[in-house]
Amino acid sequence: MKKHPLLPLSETMHYILIALQQPLHGYAMMQKIDELSGGEVHLAAGTLYGALDNLSKYDWIEQVGVEGRRKIYHITPEGQRILAVEKARLIHLLSLY
Amino acid sequence: MKKSNWFRINILKEEQWLNKTLQQGFKIAAITGWSSTFTFEEVSEPHIVRIDCQQSMNKAAFEEYKLIYEDFGWTYLSGSRSSGKHYWQKVIEGEEADQLFSDKQSTKSYYKRLMNYSLLFALPFMMLSMVLYQQHIFSLSNLYLTPGLWDMEGALFWKAFIFETPFALFRLLCPVIVFGAVVLSLKAYYEYRKLQQRIQ
Repeated sequence: MKKHPLLPLSETMHYILIALQQPLHGYAMMQKIDELSGGEVHLAAGTLYGALDNLSKYDWIEQVGVEGRRKIYHITPEGQRILAVEKARLIHLLSLY
Repeated sequence: MKKSNWFRINILKEEQWLNKTLQQGFKIAAITGWSSTFTFEEVSEPHIVRIDCQQSMNKAAFEEYKLIYEDFGWTYLSGSRSSGKHYWQKVIEGEEADQLFSDKQSTKSYYKRLMNYSLLFALPFMMLSMVLYQQHIFSLSNLYLTPGLWDMEGALFWKAFIFETPFALFRLLCPVIVFGAVVLSLKAYYEYRKLQQRIQ
């Protein structure tokens, strides 16, 4: 398989795809990721905007609705598949420790 | 208080220049005249400004872009969908919270956009220089266009020569601008490459 520009997933991309197991808008994603990472990963506005733009471009996430003027995003089946591939890669790495 | 900023194409330097003033207890109240004149206002809370650089966005993407930044506490000062440059300001909260980018990948692509912006700025001047070069305007005798000027004698020559000098200087200015733009874009290229290497 040709190497995808977003693979291996960065920590930011990992957290966004995992947070988007449930539908969320941008700011809520940042809060969710704060919580999931135990306060370790605090996304900045530009990083989040760029990541959402990038992930949408490859159809790994999609817009599923709006809340006020805010777009709500959710992971796609293709995004789930990417996460599964990454999970297998990380499990293998961990088994080597 | 007003300050002007002419011909500063290095976005990071411009950002530093603005933040120096903000550190003295000011915030930017308005940006006018093609982002060249800044009006500052005294405030008690310390502010910080960041200049973002983005490719042209469609209307929906621009709306989403502004909403996300605003949710993170930033106030939009100046820019448009296709301006490339976007000015954001907020009250200082702390080193991490005052950045627009929080990981290596996004910081690197920000630097890449900055570099492209500088190069794009120099592009029209480079094109102008090529046109001028083709017209052989860089040699002295071609700077003066009065027919037969160099065959004239005495007072007639000096009158014609002095009359045309301002026009010749103007034509000479074009290659000077081109040279300046080339130097600036090369400088920008090396600076951003240095920054990118520091991140890696």
